[in-house]
Amino acid sequence: MLDRIIRDYNEAVFETDKDAAFEVVNNALANGLSAEDVVFKVVIPAVEVMMSDITRDPDANLAQHFMTAQIAAEVTEKMLTKFVHPPEIIGRVVIGTAAGDLHSLGKRIVMGCLKALMVEVVDLGVNVPAEKFVTEAVHYGADVIAISAMMVHTATGENGARKVRALLKEQGLEHQIRIVVGGAPYRFDNELYKTVGADGWAADGIAAGKMIVDLIRAGKTS
Amino acid sequence: MTPLEILAAATNGTPAPRIPIFCNLLDQGARELGMTQREYYRKGEHVAAGQLKMNKRFGYDNVWSLFYVGKEAEFFGCDNILYAEDGSPNVGDFVIKSWDDIAKLQVPADITTHPAWAETASCLKILREEVGATHPVCAYLTASTTMPALLMGMDKWMELLMTGPADLRDHLLDLCSQFFQQEVAAYRAAGANVLVYSTPFGTHYFVGRKRFESFSMPWMKRDLAPGGINNIVYYCGMAPFNEVIPAVMDELDIAVHYISPLADLAEAKRIIESRRSQDGAAYLTCGVIDDIKLIHWTPEEARAEVKRLIEIGKPGGHFLFGTGVMPMAIPEANIKAMLDAAFEYGALS
Repeated sequence: MLDRIIRDYNEAVFETDKDAAFEVVNNALANGLSAEDVVFKVVIPAVEVMMSDITRDPDANLAQHFMTAQIAAEVTEKMLTKFVHPPEIIGRVVIGTAAGDLHSLGKRIVMGCLKALMVEVVDLGVNVPAEKFVTEAVHYGADVIAISAMMVHTATGENGARKVRALLKEQGLEHQIRIVVGGAPYRFDNELYKTVGADGWAADGIAAGKMIVDLIRAGKTS
Repeated sequence: MTPLEILAAATNGTPAPRIPIFCNLLDQGARELGMTQREYYRKGEHVAAGQLKMNKRFGYDNVWSLFYVGKEAEFFGCDNILYAEDGSPNVGDFVIKSWDDIAKLQVPADITTHPAWAETASCLKILREEVGATHPVCAYLTASTTMPALLMGMDKWMELLMTGPADLRDHLLDLCSQFFQQEVAAYRAAGANVLVYSTPFGTHYFVGRKRFESFSMPWMKRDLAPGGINNIVYYCGMAPFNEVIPAVMDELDIAVHYISPLADLAEAKRIIESRRSQDGAAYLTCGVIDDIKLIHWTPEEARAEVKRLIEIGKPGGHFLFGTGVMPMAIPEANIKAMLDAAFEYGALS
């Protein structure tokens, strides 16, 4: 039965059909699958499959990334209310768009993925000052600050990731909190993330979810 | 030959001394005039003066009438533009905050009487008078399928598009298409003669094949039908779109394509040539440099990339060298190196 559920769910996600995905989940619950199994045996593996498929599929597109993340986040959110025990959280991330930037699609895709991967995400919104990234990261005990920027000046300017890096350094938090960045300018210049002081970047929102999880795990074991 | 004649020669495949060389130094105009971005973009005469000075300094072929992309949102009521001194102005507050706001949205009955048009018209008048007889005057127009992103933010638009009620989505698109049809007519009447049709949803990078055919293509046809495709340039906001070129040429009849630096330029040129070269029709492939890398490249690296692109595009003609977003952080030495190389390697006789 589980194999069929996984297959049907993956198909619905790949076709960006949210209603069909929820129907699979509801039927699975009705047939006795626990909410925990839905998340850990169906949803999370599906996100991982999508990460891999999207990387290989030349037809993969932004709309598909968006829907994959939204479906995964919504199903997970619904299932968490049915968990017998609260799940173990992998880590915490504060996320926002850089100062001066209101482009929020990438941030939303990353948030959806992270939620489904059991990462606690604090959304700081758009046009976030560097100081706020740092104070909120400290407040929430975040492992990672994720900064999205779609314009060159918000990605590389003095008020974005560069300033967050400077503030972390100033406060002695550089080895405690990692910085990741994403957005169009980094796709056009794959070395750009280093020049703004980030620890990592990803070419798209789905890949960013995995990169952040890897970074959190690496930080906890180092 | 004038730049306008060079562009026509490249498009028609007739002899010319060199390929056309296009550049967009938009925000740099404010720095050139010693103004803040807010002050610069307040008046059409400033933008025209900035563009004419940049054009004179570097000698490329075109001038731009574009202020900033978010300006189109002003026609729908946006009055909050976020200015920066190191980059382009941006929409600071979205007109559509909830789906309920879509019902209240209106397209001006005549956009040329709207205050948002006045300064653009003033800029175009100066450009037309100063260089209109010799230089291409470019305009930037956002497709109906992308305009909602300027009005509500890309994630909210994606949500409405993918999961929202179809009638509400279509109502919004209908308004945006009505606006586009008016806007393209207004730009043509004001003297713009290179009309860059910005249509990121017209690529498989944004939507898959099925949605491109069932959604993007019908709305693009609707945008372009009343005014036709004369002087229209297909541009997907720097996203690659080689896969859709055949459909764009066959179904929309657009023959000028502004290729993404992330795409295979040789492939794009082959696709375009294969559909047009037999019948002697006009067409143009625009090879675009990855100008974000110009921020940290050396002048020698900039020259080498220009050489690479022109060597791909120049054989067989019907080729233009162009730029993408030209961030303000690019050192002037690199702009000069890029353009010098384009003139040198782009020579045809």
